[in-house]
Amino acid sequence: MIVLSIDSATESASCAVLDDDKLLGEIIFNYKKQHSVILMTMVEELLKNVALTINDIDGFVVSKGPGSFTGLRIGIATVKGLSQGTGKPFLGVSSLDALAYNMAFTSGIVCPILDALRGNVYTALYKFEGATLVRKSDYLVISIEELIALLKKQNEPCTFIGDAVHIFKDALTDSIGNVKFAPVHLDLVRASALGELGKASLALGEHDDINTFAPLYLRKCQAEREYEKKMSLLKDE
Amino acid sequence: MKIIAQSVEETIIYGEKLGTLVNSGDVICLTGDLGTGKTHFVKGFAKGLKIEDSITSPTFTIVNEYQGRLKLNHFDVYRVSDPEEIENIGFDEYIFSSAVSIIEWANFIEELIPKESLRINIIKVPEKGDNYREIEVTYKGERYNYVKEIEI
Repeated sequence: MIVLSIDSATESASCAVLDDDKLLGEIIFNYKKQHSVILMTMVEELLKNVALTINDIDGFVVSKGPGSFTGLRIGIATVKGLSQGTGKPFLGVSSLDALAYNMAFTSGIVCPILDALRGNVYTALYKFEGATLVRKSDYLVISIEELIALLKKQNEPCTFIGDAVHIFKDALTDSIGNVKFAPVHLDLVRASALGELGKASLALGEHDDINTFAPLYLRKCQAEREYEKKMSLLKDE
Repeated sequence: MKIIAQSVEETIIYGEKLGTLVNSGDVICLTGDLGTGKTHFVKGFAKGLKIEDSITSPTFTIVNEYQGRLKLNHFDVYRVSDPEEIENIGFDEYIFSSAVSIIEWANFIEELIPKESLRINIIKVPEKGDNYREIEVTYKGERYNYVKEIEI
């Protein structure tokens, strides 16, 4: 089975082609969000260089989020279009799952963090049980302080990975003991990791529906935002 | 602080001078009743940013993007009934970027405005003439200290 996967959930954009045994090719750009301009040319270039056409693809995998609103919509619209045009199935995989999967076999907690702006992160907690990546929390959008409080309760070694690491590294190091950080080259959601995660499900015949599939936008609910606004006003006084 | 503009041209000139001074990432909230000249102000502002496209009101599109000395996101949130609607277009990604953002009717989405921002409120004073305006300028954050230099 040949799978084409696309990620545009964050600042970076990537696409990859995998077959049953190997990663045939992957392109990543992490330079100023410009997904709507570069994504299709990346796919075209990638296919050309691995001597495939779009009709050789058996299924598509796309980042379903959380992440950048605009980025997610671009990626998902692209994959829905490719899926509809070729009549091949597609599947959405969480950007956080793909990030955590970059840290395969890490012991303790794997905690991907993506920048959700305003001091917040998109995150979830994971563990590797044998070779299997297991998610141990909901997908969350929380402030870095809330994440720190959550991790202190776990009392386990923790490895962080993701595009928010460079923003919060000091805060995390100072407040939680026993932390590690992924090497920088792993901090991106990689289409190859998405593809690898999605491929198994696609092979089993699982797929998403083109008409009902929507991005996983995580947002703080209205009540939470109003509460925070009230608290920040009190702080200012 | 308060600036007096005696004419439409002076409102535009103030906008233009501000446009020459703004920096990457600045967020400017623009308020004032209908017909006070917010769009005129933005036209001047865009000129100051060396934007050559003509500026049209984004009332129906919510946001227009322009490229000049810096990228400009021009919002008009007049039609928005719920701040959540604006959040859903990826508002945060626009305002926390390297572009300059100017938001007409920012008072409608107060909860989404970052703490550090520049606020410009244009007020009509009919007894002093049809085009006489008071421009109230306030801000939070040292990054906006440059507004003190602006005179018409």
